[in-house]
Amino acid sequence: MDFELTDDQVELQRIVREIAEQECPPALARAVTDGKGDDAALWQTYVGLDWPSLVIPEEMGGVGLGTVELVLVLEELGRVADPTPFLATASQYLSLVRECGDADQQAALLVPLLTGSTGAAAFDADVAASRSGDGWALQGTARAVLDGDRADEVAVVADADGQAAVFVVPAGDVSATRTPSFDATLHVADVTFDDATVAPERALLAGGAAGVDRARAVATAGLAATMVGASQRAFELGLDHIKERKQFGVPIGSFQALKHMAADVYIAIERARALCQFAGLALDEDDERAGVAASMAKAAAGDAQRIAARHGIQFFGGLGFTWENDLHLFVRRAKAGELLLGSSTEHRARVATEALAR
Amino acid sequence: MRLQFDEQTEAFRAEFIEWLEANAPSPEEADEIATSSAHVPEWARRWQRAMFDAGWLVPGNPPEFGGRNATVLEQFVHQQELHHRRIYPSFNPQGLGIITPSILTFGTDEQKERWAKRILRAEITAALGMSEPDAGSDLAALRTRAERDGDEFVVNGQKVWTSGAHDADVILTFVRTDPDAPKHKGISCLLIPADAPGVTRRPFGSFVSPEDVDFNEVFFDDVRVPAENLVGELNQGWKVATGSLGHERAMLWLNYSESLDDLVRTGGAALRDHGLADDPTVLDWFGRLAIDAEAIRLLGFRTLAKASKGMESTEQSILKLFGAEAVQDATLHVLESLGPDTLDHERRTLPLYHLDGEHHGQSWFSRYIRSFSGTIAGGTSQIQRNIIAERILGLPR
Repeated sequence: MDFELTDDQVELQRIVREIAEQECPPALARAVTDGKGDDAALWQTYVGLDWPSLVIPEEMGGVGLGTVELVLVLEELGRVADPTPFLATASQYLSLVRECGDADQQAALLVPLLTGSTGAAAFDADVAASRSGDGWALQGTARAVLDGDRADEVAVVADADGQAAVFVVPAGDVSATRTPSFDATLHVADVTFDDATVAPERALLAGGAAGVDRARAVATAGLAATMVGASQRAFELGLDHIKERKQFGVPIGSFQALKHMAADVYIAIERARALCQFAGLALDEDDERAGVAASMAKAAAGDAQRIAARHGIQFFGGLGFTWENDLHLFVRRAKAGELLLGSSTEHRARVATEALAR
Repeated sequence: MRLQFDEQTEAFRAEFIEWLEANAPSPEEADEIATSSAHVPEWARRWQRAMFDAGWLVPGNPPEFGGRNATVLEQFVHQQELHHRRIYPSFNPQGLGIITPSILTFGTDEQKERWAKRILRAEITAALGMSEPDAGSDLAALRTRAERDGDEFVVNGQKVWTSGAHDADVILTFVRTDPDAPKHKGISCLLIPADAPGVTRRPFGSFVSPEDVDFNEVFFDDVRVPAENLVGELNQGWKVATGSLGHERAMLWLNYSESLDDLVRTGGAALRDHGLADDPTVLDWFGRLAIDAEAIRLLGFRTLAKASKGMESTEQSILKLFGAEAVQDATLHVLESLGPDTLDHERRTLPLYHLDGEHHGQSWFSRYIRSFSGTIAGGTSQIQRNIIAERILGLPR
């Protein structure tokens, strides 16, 4: 067991952090939140850097990195409250297509991502698929789909003649209503399929339930990593503050009450980060624990965001309660993640059920 | 990154398992239960000696001290197999884990032969005299003093919490040798024979029961100790002390990791027996337990990877705090979930196993109480938080 990042992985982490900090400063997240800016230029930067291709297999023109690397990148993007469609495209849509499509379908649907096309995924959709001509027709609604209102394609998991299948529908064939999320840098939408027809080449039947489970594990670990990054940033802001802020003539960070809170946040983040990387590793090595590992990661990320947000705001006192303080950008991002793809309570229950069955 | 150990390490593991299976004492041979952390029954002395002779006692040591110059990863899988099989290599754990490494690191060749080797071969047992009534978390405030008189030191003062002292042959004792120096710079370390005139050992019962007697008060009244028993240099005892605790921490997380795994197994079985395996409240804390068990392993492995390259890791500092509190939380949850059955103080949670410490599988209440040793001994959880905040997070002192 070697649980240390390789030199290449550390280097990837460093580069992504540097670029993300530079290209996605709090001012950008703030402008997006205020409706005075958007993520278009940032997304073009990522595309120019070939980031969307990182986890696309080499034979399709991608870089072919693994899930560990994806997790590392997503943590860094969470750390800057990245407003682009990277998370949904790279960890959700891409993984559903990869795990469930046959070779031709994967090539057809993944190659456009290399040049900046985007995708969304609906894992828990209340959508029924029925045969229609030589293809399929979809009816129903998928709630809380990340980027469901802006992605070029929406992949939806639905039952097809008794087996799990994924249907990939162009954005023009669905109607989406964006949720006015408390994290306005995140696009979350309810997506309605009203007799949307799907050609057979867009019905992904190869992966079945196992493929969907694996894709869900990638998505879950990816979202968890994003939450860890956002929690980390909120923590860093708080730490900087309590080192500087003086009351009673001393930095308030010299008080044990705050030191102990800081140590607890630190541990919660380290715990969650380790589990995110473990989930990535288990997925890459096709380990049977991958699904449970992803649930562990998501539950731990939930724990991390909870304490990072609570203590993060508390560290700042009244100064943490303002719109002017960047803290809220990261607290919102981390907290929003808790509400998607299963809460920490749900994931703990899954982990427990599996452990109790042993 | 990978999920498996390398082949060399796995071969080492296989060789050790084979030896263990052929050589571990049978229940019939183990005819006496150890009553303290320095009481080693005759059969257990023979067992420790067998491990020493085969080079399996402390694999990282050279052969003359019971090892085989094993790598860090090999030492780890050795520990893993012992923990997993509930096998104590020594029933004098502080002798093996803290005192001999201190002597081997800081002692003279003569001390290594005379003390370390005999402790390792279970010819004698050892206790560690650190804490005092007024020097707990603030260990460097210790006041037991040793004054040089010719070829001897004369020791006066008191230690407390000295585990196993009443059964030990020697006490590695931290004493003040320069009362005028800053507190960390006037401490030295002496090997004091427990039967030396003027040494009084007063064992006392623990919270668990009056019969659970491991702790001692130890009084030193004009105790004369040969100067050759000084371990490390005069007034450099703090180095030995931090080194000792360092040895204690190096793979300590494995204790917590194994305890958490055991809580998943035995706690899980108890919950199933009580029909609680799908209770939503139980699922919530039990899920947290299973997650903690995995997380500590991951953080521990990361520490291990760094240690095998001779590097210190920041993860190490959180393992004790995190592990001890996770064990305590989970044990409390089991205790309070199972209802009146856990009132039965004599109902064991693990069957008695002769190669394991008898106390490990006592009642859930005892296990919960014993979990406080993790959050108190060797630096309280509060001290650990201070250390993390100051040394890792850079908060002002």
